[in-house]
Formats: sequence, structure tokens, C-alpha cells
Amino acid sequence: MGFFGGDKTPKDDWSAMSTVIEAEAKLQTLGEITPSRRAGVIYRNNEDNAFLGDISNELNPILYSGQGSTKTAFEIHDDDRGMRWIVLEDGNFSDLVSSVYTVGNAIGANGAGDSLLAAVFELYFTGTVEDNTYRSGLRTYWIYRYDRKAFYPFVPTGESEGERDRPAEARLGQDLRKHGLSIEKSLTEWMGLWGIPF
Amino acid sequence: MYFTMFMLGMLYAVFALFLYSSGTAMIFIAPIIGIIVAVQYFMSDRLILMSTGAKQVTAEQEPELHRMIKTLADRYEMPMPKVAVIDTAIPNAFATGRNPKNALVAVTKGIQERLNERELSAVIGHELAHVANRDMKVLAIANFLVTLTSFLMTMLFWNMLFGGMGGRRNNNGGGVMMVYLVTIIVYFIGQLLVLALTRYREYGADHTGAEISGDPGALADALEKISGTVANIPDKDLRKLQTANAFLIIPAALKGEGSMNLFSTHPPLQERVKRLRELEQRMRYGLR
Repeated sequence: MGFFGGDKTPKDDWSAMSTVIEAEAKLQTLGEITPSRRAGVIYRNNEDNAFLGDISNELNPILYSGQGSTKTAFEIHDDDRGMRWIVLEDGNFSDLVSSVYTVGNAIGANGAGDSLLAAVFELYFTGTVEDNTYRSGLRTYWIYRYDRKAFYPFVPTGESEGERDRPAEARLGQDLRKHGLSIEKSLTEWMGLWGIPF
Repeated sequence: MYFTMFMLGMLYAVFALFLYSSGTAMIFIAPIIGIIVAVQYFMSDRLILMSTGAKQVTAEQEPELHRMIKTLADRYEMPMPKVAVIDTAIPNAFATGRNPKNALVAVTKGIQERLNERELSAVIGHELAHVANRDMKVLAIANFLVTLTSFLMTMLFWNMLFGGMGGRRNNNGGGVMMVYLVTIIVYFIGQLLVLALTRYREYGADHTGAEISGDPGALADALEKISGTVANIPDKDLRKLQTANAFLIIPAALKGEGSMNLFSTHPPLQERVKRLRELEQRMRYGLR
């Protein structure tokens, strides 16, 4: 940290988002989490945009069928707030992260970058490690906000807005920062996403 | 504060007189509640260990914490209290014990990790101030009266529902109703007075702790740090970010600090911090 308190802030999505690969790997080595395989990208749907209007066919070659693609499986969900979720699944976490990045990048490249809200990774804690403060099977989401270019943890305790385990999140935020994840500094920006479809 | 205590005493003295004059035979339940409260009062340290999962720790297990508490206890000229640690990430600390000889101080792992030595020392100083000021005794008496009225309220309610059924005391129905209504009123006024009392006790402990440490800013820092880690995390859904901005100003203003739930019985955190900062200024510049 510099004298004026400023970290060097990552300038593009990839350098910020890829910090999740290192953090996930470290936590797995420590035995704190089980391997993660699911993630999602949420954006404000706009059928007028040609790319977004045909998103399924557009993404298929990029993610799954095309040459050199990561063979990441994906599904599309529309929620009741006019948002569309691309839910991705891949047994290889770096491939998963790279696919999430690819989805956001493709949407941005087709003129809909402003509609991107967040990328969300799902991670389960094992609770088997001595001194592990997170209970076994605790499901956490690590939310990446495109407008802030940073992550924060989200631990919902129910389906309704506001139901979240704030102490666990605050603690997790500190731990994840130690493990190299690029964490959103301002807690007031840690907005939740209730009813994540995966 | 003495006025509040006086009002509380008066309220219940008048209430007792009222019960006596209305011929209510309910006075016999007072001993039962007395026993419950006495158990709570005399065993509060053990009860708190049981109910919070706090584990008593020895000087070998937590040498730094013990050293810190010993230093503070010496300053208060009280014997070394029992020390306990609660294995949770939620930052909190509390003290219990009817007098300094039977005191127990408990801190959570969350608060140990988040605060530095100066801040943690201020938090423990605040808790020891509760013990030194005999706050448990004051609250036990106040709570006894409130527990008594709430018990009476329930008893009278069932008495009114079923008491008349046998036809034995039919002529007394209106009297019971009257006693019931008065009990409800006494209960609510009692609750308000107890809340006011807790508030005064809390400011009092802040003040005592600051005088003992000579550093009111340390507790203010600690309070801000603890609340900053948790309370700032919003209720808001990310999907409302761009669409609902215009509506957010009013609810945010209405919500204010009143709904802060970290220390629910404590006065608003902002007010405590403000008073501590003022005290800090006065101490620093010698204004009185």
C-alpha cells in the first residue's frame, strides 16, 4: 500500500477477476473449501441488442462447441427483475473463470458493456480445518461487480432482501483479501443478490 | 439517572399499593419470580458461559488477554475477574457478575482479531466499568420488577379467560379487568424506564472507562471499527442499483441509526462516539 493509502487498482476486468483463481487455489490447498464448479454472469437484458437477443446461439461456439473453447456448460435463466443470468458449470476452475470473463467480454464487445451487473462464483466451505471459523457446508458467493472491478463475499441466510450473514461476510472479506482476492474496500458497496438461480 | 431509578421505585411502590388495595391475591407469585431472578443474578457468570458458549481461559492459554485485563482491574482496584473467550467471528464483549469479586469478562475471537491492543483495552475497560459501577445489581432489580409485571399480566389474562367459568367469582370480573389494564400500563412504563436506565448506565460505563484509561478516543475508534465492519454492509439488492436511486434517499434517511442491531440495548452508536470524542477534546485541552 502506498503512502496515500492507494493500492494499485487493476485497470481491466481480467486482472481483477483472475485474482479469484489464486484465492480459490490457496483455500483448496488449505482444505477450507471444496472444489468450485459453478458461476454466473448477470446482466440487464435488452432484446434490441442483436447479440443479447440471440445470446444462446452466440455463446455456444465461444464457450462450448467451438475450437479451443473451454467446453464450459451453460444455461440461461431469466429472473423476475428483468435480469438474465448465464449460469456456467465447469470442473476446471481456471476454465470456469476464463469462461465467465469471456461472457462479460463478449457482451462488452457487442456494445452492451453497461448492462453487465456482476459475475458470481459459488464456493462451499468444508469446516473441517482446525480453527476454521466457517461452518461445514457454508455456501458463499463471491460477487464481482463490473462497475467496481472488485469482489466481495455474499452469504445469504434467506431469500428476502437484507437476509445475509454480515459478520461472516466481513470476516470472509478480510480472509479472502489475505489470499490475494481483489476485494471491494467500501462495505457499503457490498450489495446482495437474493435468489441466485444456482 | 437517579431520577429514573427513583421513578422506577415509585412506579412499583404505587403499583404494589394498588394491588394490595384491590385485594389481588397475586402477591404470592412474587417469591417465585424472586427465586428466578436470584438464580439469574447469583449465577449470571455461569449462565453466560453456558448460553454463549464462552470458554473460560487460563493465563497460559491467553497470556496477553490476561495481562491486559489484570492491568485494567488493578486500575479499577478490583480483583482479577474470570476471563472467557467466545469462539465466534462476531465482534463483541461483555462482562457479568453481581460484584467485582464474582466478575467475568468475555470477549469474542472476532473482536480480538479486529481491534488493536489500545482499542481492545478500551472495550474491556468499558466492560469492567459496568462491574465497578455495580450495573448488574441495578439491572437485576429493575428487571425483577418488569419480569414480575409481565408474569402478572399473563396470569391475569388467563384468569380473566377461565376464572369466571365456574361462576365462583363472577362478581369480581370488572375488578380483575381493572387490575389487568393497570398492570399493562405499569409494564410498559417500567420497560421504558429500564431502557432509559440501561442507556444511562451505558454512557456511564463509557465515561468511567475513558477516565480510567485517559483515552476516550480509543473506545470511539473501537466502536467505529466494529460497526464499520458489519453494519455498513447494505440490505440493498444489486439489481436496484441503477433503477431505484431516486427512492433510496428517503428510506435511508428514515432508517437512520435506530435500527442498528449490533448492541441492541445500547444507546445509538453515533451518540456514544460523539460523546466520547467530546470527552477526548476536553481531556486533551483541559476544558471542563
